[in-house]
Amino acid sequence: MFKKALLALPVAMAVGATAQAGEWQDPNDVLQQFLQENPDSAYLHQSEMNIMMMPDNPALWLVDEGEDLFYAQRGPNNVSLEGCDFGKGPGELDGAYVELPRYFEDTGKVMDFEMRLVHCMKELQGFTSDDAAVARRHGSGSDIMKLTTFIAHQSSGMAWNPPLDHPQEQAMRDAGEKLFYRRGGAMDFNCASCHGDVGKQIRASVLPHVGAGPEWSKAVSWPAHRAGHDNVRSQNHRIRGCVWQMRHAGIKADTPVNTALISYWNDQARGEPAILPDLKR
Amino acid sequence: MLRNKTVGAGLAIVASTVLIAGCDGWMDQSSGEVDVSAMSAEEYADYLVLETDSYRFDQEAQEGGSARERMVQDGIQAACSIKGDPDAETAGEVIAMARESYEAPPGGPRLGNWRRGAELARSGYGYRIGHRNDDHGQREPGGNCYACHQMDPNEELYGTLGPSLAGYGTTRGNDSSVVNYVHQVVSNPHQYFPCTKMPRFGHNNFLTEEQIAHVMAYLLDPESPVNQ
Repeated sequence: MFKKALLALPVAMAVGATAQAGEWQDPNDVLQQFLQENPDSAYLHQSEMNIMMMPDNPALWLVDEGEDLFYAQRGPNNVSLEGCDFGKGPGELDGAYVELPRYFEDTGKVMDFEMRLVHCMKELQGFTSDDAAVARRHGSGSDIMKLTTFIAHQSSGMAWNPPLDHPQEQAMRDAGEKLFYRRGGAMDFNCASCHGDVGKQIRASVLPHVGAGPEWSKAVSWPAHRAGHDNVRSQNHRIRGCVWQMRHAGIKADTPVNTALISYWNDQARGEPAILPDLKR
Repeated sequence: MLRNKTVGAGLAIVASTVLIAGCDGWMDQSSGEVDVSAMSAEEYADYLVLETDSYRFDQEAQEGGSARERMVQDGIQAACSIKGDPDAETAGEVIAMARESYEAPPGGPRLGNWRRGAELARSGYGYRIGHRNDDHGQREPGGNCYACHQMDPNEELYGTLGPSLAGYGTTRGNDSSVVNYVHQVVSNPHQYFPCTKMPRFGHNNFLTEEQIAHVMAYLLDPESPVNQ
């Protein structure tokens, strides 16, 4: 939604760093605020090029494309996704993305964003797992990434706030924390092997630390245009890549290990504004 | 084994309790209903990993066996699944497990060819599965030392997760006690650094003994750029 982005820009600039957790902010304004307030963060400041490119983030193109897809009548049932409830009510997208994963009565389980989106595309629109619309999960050309970027953008600048009121939400978050520290695979790694300290580098990349507020908010702020991949990527894609590098077993889409990890990720960024979409190295 | 992980489907299946009763997705393969509230967070995490079809467990791992075996923890992995450093008791148990399972190569550790070691230290190839599986028939796995350590002081791209190893052999020499020690650390570093982040390159058969000898030469050979 470029229209929204353009309209919101002067507002966000006027309000600046005093913006409330609940209101929409341009992703670049959130980034700039993080940079100014954390001048010593090697992670946040590691790529001048990406900081410079942020106002022209290629991921913003997907916002427009995703908006068209969201309101288009699609699938065998020829309906839009306006009937999809991401937790705030059918079609209510403002702030929905930063309040996931959450427990959904209609499925009786905790679902992360992508799981919920796929659920709606199947249940409402009638797509099947074999249809490219849901089968293709990765890449800027995929429907899933376009929709993800549009929907996430509606929560930009709002504070991460995944609900923990339902016992299953709390259990999922707590299991996610255990998973974050669970060692395994051919190299004995857990997530904390790389994300347990501030300012450490793996080769040339400065790694985000799970405990560091703004750093961690930026780290979990997917979708993001990943410059090195020249594609917009999701939280789930980040998990898949980490698991691959860790030499664990390959992870499948729409599975609860993803949900648990994202529950913990987003909980650890709680209270910090999200950069949606972000741009990363 | 410090703790033998025995969490399985049977652990918390409570036939009469319906807390998760999903009809689509990941509950399908389980015939019973699972009572999450009866599990600790750790048990639930293990359940999610091993019993919810979240991974491509049917894939073959390069080291042999199935991908599932990678996610079943051994004693050191289980003991070290913690936040921060281990307490003294855990550290002692981890060191004991590491010592117990350590094997020196036949004839004792030796130094190989530092040039081959340099290649292995730079290579991050090997053992990745799930998608774009690494094909060891095409290319040998590497040790990826530079991901975490500085080694050759002239190499600009190095990680800082581990300590700098620049000049490692210059300060220590390479007599047999040093060679034996370095082999113990590369093979299973938990003998000296309980719950270290560093992989057990020998114990896990990630590198062959020949490859370890090359990497050790890169670290300890006076001719190696690491020691210039």
